[in-house]
Amino acid sequence: MRDRSRQIAWVLVVLTAVAVLALPLLTSDRYLLKVLTYVGLNAIIVTGLALLFGYAGQISLGHAAFFGIGAYASGYVTTRLGWPFLAGLLLAVTMSAAGGLLLALPSLRLKGHYLAMATLGFSEIASILFVEAKPITGGNDGLSGIPYASVAGFRFATPAANYWLVWGVAIAAVIAVSGVVRSRPGRAMAALHGSELGASACGIDPARVKTAAFVVSAGLAGLAGCLYAHVLGFVSPSTFALDTSIILVAMVVLGGSRSLAGPLAAAAVLTLIPFADSILPGLPASAVAFLQDWKGDISGVVIIAVMLFAPGGIAGAVRAARRRAGAIGGRGPGASQRTADEGSAT
Amino acid sequence: MHAAELLQFAIAGLKNGSIYALVALGFTIVYAATGIINFAQGEFYMLGGMVSVFVLSALRVPLPLAVAGGVAATVVVGALVERLALRPRRDAGQLALIIITIGVSLLLRSLARHGLGSNELALPVFTPGPSISLWGAAIERQALWVWGITAMAVVGLWLLYEKTSFGRAMKACSISHDAARLMGIDTAKVVALAFALAAGLGAIAGAAVAPLTQTAFDVGARMGLKGFAAAILGGLGDFRAAVAGGLALGLVESLSVAYISSTYKDAIALVLLLLVLFVRPQGLFGRSAREKV
Repeated sequence: MRDRSRQIAWVLVVLTAVAVLALPLLTSDRYLLKVLTYVGLNAIIVTGLALLFGYAGQISLGHAAFFGIGAYASGYVTTRLGWPFLAGLLLAVTMSAAGGLLLALPSLRLKGHYLAMATLGFSEIASILFVEAKPITGGNDGLSGIPYASVAGFRFATPAANYWLVWGVAIAAVIAVSGVVRSRPGRAMAALHGSELGASACGIDPARVKTAAFVVSAGLAGLAGCLYAHVLGFVSPSTFALDTSIILVAMVVLGGSRSLAGPLAAAAVLTLIPFADSILPGLPASAVAFLQDWKGDISGVVIIAVMLFAPGGIAGAVRAARRRAGAIGGRGPGASQRTADEGSAT
Repeated sequence: MHAAELLQFAIAGLKNGSIYALVALGFTIVYAATGIINFAQGEFYMLGGMVSVFVLSALRVPLPLAVAGGVAATVVVGALVERLALRPRRDAGQLALIIITIGVSLLLRSLARHGLGSNELALPVFTPGPSISLWGAAIERQALWVWGITAMAVVGLWLLYEKTSFGRAMKACSISHDAARLMGIDTAKVVALAFALAAGLGAIAGAAVAPLTQTAFDVGARMGLKGFAAAILGGLGDFRAAVAGGLALGLVESLSVAYISSTYKDAIALVLLLLVLFVRPQGLFGRSAREKV
């Protein structure tokens, strides 16, 4: 029974991945592909943030800054110094992961709210640098003319190619992170989330595990930032402001903890809201303008409402629904196994 | 550098520092009553300035009434945030409550942009007139208001904490909620009033500084950070330390403008915040903090 439900979960994951990757073959709507590419970029960041928040129990208000560091690092060296794309990508990931390490080492020994405040401070310092370090970032005008990504002579110059690039990376990131959470360090994180004291008593070093989660998630945000810069060809400071960080937090909160599928679904929903006309072509322009204008308010309400009324988020709601389904089928054989499987779900 | 120039920078530093102190007091009061950091504290500062400007221009009332209206409205917002968003999840643990205040900060900021506009706005000075000169340095009259308000807030808080039964209840809550409740203290009321008080202090700071530096819907986050930096610099939870931390931060920032660079003025305060967090999280004057379990 357990094996079968795991097989079903794997089939679902593979089918989703195939459907996501096949999409450009079914549509030539450039706008839709572009919007879905943004969803993929946020999926990369949210995968790391779900690891940090959902499994290691840490809040970061600085992920927009790591995203920005990746974007500016790769944007600058490929545009101004003529580095190849892959070298820029490597630098972007290294720099944001190093930033994460620099922040995590001292602050993860502190209590939860101190880390959140430290990431907020880091994010504001980065915002100031993005605007003021004009020789590198171009100031408020931003950095333009960033070349398309190219690997081994192939240039990702069409919306479909960029879509494949971003979603290929996103799927690889999801697979890698879901491997991590099933492994020993992942179980250590889950133990920490439950009780830090209890986990320490079992020989887990909380600071080390949390630092690792923080560095991985910062690196993933930097990776997404690099791809963003090369997909869009242009970066400017307002993209990497505090509100972006909070909207990313809204995605993992809505998605629920100890889950990757939940936050990924939430990332898709919250990213698509301001671009709702890409999936609902009949939507009046005024409604789209409203959604774009109010995305901050919507994200704020989502955070508060989820924390108040459904603290488990999407993943928690799915688990509860499965539990109910299990209870209804409780008279039949195999029901107990089904409830036992919940732990391994998502 | 001339002595007069240095004095001018010191005056500017103490003026900004007083504002940081008021915001820091808001953090300290909420932390003492609940043990959480209110990430929406900076938004109370923003609302104080923005709503005062709005009341002044929309209702055309005299300036003192407009400021009173702005502060009162913010106090109501602070109380509502506690009542509607935090009290229902009181027992959910720090992480949940912090996330809620983060959501509240984004919501208040976004609502202010829609309701009060995205332009930079300013209040008129409270008492017009030429600057006062002191040994070659000029002191704006509004700076006197800022200092006066901060001094009044400190004296008022001292009286509240030391001389009233409500102040004793707040102190008791900061030691142990359960013990306070067993002694017959209405802890829910204490927490609600702590939020109202914190909102009021933030709002007064926002209104007092609005004639000097313009205000806008997005000034809250950075001021919140600096206020927190001031609170943590002094040692979180003690209101005298918050004031000392605010003034110290203002002076350091102002002197760094004088000697280093004005471009990175904001960054310097934030780097200082990170350094204090990393090296001495209990604050410069605080004793080693023990975690409440």
